[in-house]
Amino acid sequence: MDGQVISNAFHHTYWGFPLALYFWLVGGSAGSFVVSTLGWVFGVKKYKPIAFFASNTAIAMLMVVPLLLITDLGKPFRFFHLLMLPSFSHWSAPMVWGATFILTYPIGMAFYSYFVYYKNERMARICGILAIVLALCTHWYTGVVMQLNPSRLPNHASVAPILFLTGAYISGIGLLNILLWIRNRFVNTKKRVRTSILADMGRLMLYGIVFDLFLLGNEFLQMTYGIGEEHTILYDVLLGPFRWPYLYIEIIWGLLLPLVILAIPRINRLRYWVLAASFMCATGVFGMRVWWVMATQYYQGHF
Amino acid sequence: MAGRTYGYNGVPPSKGKKGLKRYAMVVDLRRCTGCNACTAACKTAYDVPLGDWRIWVMEAETGEFPKTKRHVLPRMCNQCDQPTCVRNCPTKATFKHPDGFVLQRYNRCIGCRTCMVACPYNARHLLTDHRRDKRNPRNVADKCDFCIVRVTRGLTPICVASCTGGAMVFGDINDPDSEVARIVAANKTFTLRPEQGNAPQVYYIGLNEPIADPEFAFHHRSEQLHDRYNTFKRNSELGEELAGNIIDTDTGFFGIAKQGVHNMINFIATAPAKFFRGLF
Repeated sequence: MDGQVISNAFHHTYWGFPLALYFWLVGGSAGSFVVSTLGWVFGVKKYKPIAFFASNTAIAMLMVVPLLLITDLGKPFRFFHLLMLPSFSHWSAPMVWGATFILTYPIGMAFYSYFVYYKNERMARICGILAIVLALCTHWYTGVVMQLNPSRLPNHASVAPILFLTGAYISGIGLLNILLWIRNRFVNTKKRVRTSILADMGRLMLYGIVFDLFLLGNEFLQMTYGIGEEHTILYDVLLGPFRWPYLYIEIIWGLLLPLVILAIPRINRLRYWVLAASFMCATGVFGMRVWWVMATQYYQGHF
Repeated sequence: MAGRTYGYNGVPPSKGKKGLKRYAMVVDLRRCTGCNACTAACKTAYDVPLGDWRIWVMEAETGEFPKTKRHVLPRMCNQCDQPTCVRNCPTKATFKHPDGFVLQRYNRCIGCRTCMVACPYNARHLLTDHRRDKRNPRNVADKCDFCIVRVTRGLTPICVASCTGGAMVFGDINDPDSEVARIVAANKTFTLRPEQGNAPQVYYIGLNEPIADPEFAFHHRSEQLHDRYNTFKRNSELGEELAGNIIDTDTGFFGIAKQGVHNMINFIATAPAKFFRGLF
């Protein structure tokens, strides 16, 4: 239809970069913790030496989260309203579930770290199982917070939480790889993490990248069969204002290049190539958080 | 739809139920002149801050000269029977009144803006810290409440009272003798974005459906409107706190990075003020 809108109200993008950064940090924390539990919970012994560091990294990343979230509120000192179940907070709102998870998840991790430090195998396993469930729930809910907005495409898709979790997994491993490499420069030779461990984590990241691309491909296919709104979002993220966060940073920089690096047998066990792939993954997922949070709000801001 | 009862804090939709009121509004677009009297009256009555609207008039032009047509579309909260904002609000700050109003409790709201993201009609806004009267609510979500303060005293909402063309009709749609019920029964009415399943209770007569679509608003915005929107994003005081506005004339790598950094710096710079500008 020909015509143009000549006057309308202006609307803000109500959730912006701080929320994207929050999703990224929670994801990094969850991904780190998954690696941490591989040794003590799932019995992969080679990852045991890095469990304590990975768990503490996850706790440190999660420490920043409440600061971001509370500061982002219009009334920061009212954050406790979220925790006053059953009369005050609203059980059907995903944000209330999230507040519960964010509160309990670091406690679970702290107990896990404690028992790992004292090498209490049984208790570390129990706390690890509890904390890994909470880690997954914490990041699952961030996907759900975006998913349960029916008018916001493409957020309103059942694949959203899985996409978030996969992004968390790869960005968490990527961040942990880089931090372990930095740590290696400050600790004595005995405590250094071997390059083979970093390379093995790169392999874990590779599986995550393949799965992430598979999910994004499915999402893309569905969007191409959509109605006008889906096409508008596709335009925004492929050619429009969000082409850098989506196409260049997430897809090419964050997924395809690391995929190539980690899939080539000659270089996928070399330290600096693995670290380069880790850096790309970790930063690429931030691009995903940015477009996922902001693209649809930007587009509907004109309505 | 009839079986869905979640998200209302125990208040099911009252439309069509005997003994319950269901306030609704009909906007006859054939009579609307686009004079914005409703916007001005509402702004004045509720001290709606600069850059926010409880009701506004969307205007569009279609056709080519000399066969052109001006369309107007007053927009406000649709007081949905299935309100996503109520379901997603984490603190029960927004709730469904038994008579159909969707209301906001300012003292509960934490300003998380979930409701604004959930609303398909962009009908909600965050109140700024700088109000004309400092006793008015600040930094919390706000929306059109169908002027419940006036309605409970037997008056119509102020937009209806100020409508110069008599295009807006307000009343209890459950009462078959009310004007609003008779108009809805006698005319073909439309609602905005019915596919969202929110069961909106603002009905339009003579709605040009393609215009009432976010996709149209995005692809067919005039250049002046586009420029004004970017100017609004650059200058809005609230935009600095919310840190998500993208100025779409500068979206290359450095443009996006610069805006991201700029937004985060603004966010951090306004953070101390947020904590000290009123504890609760």
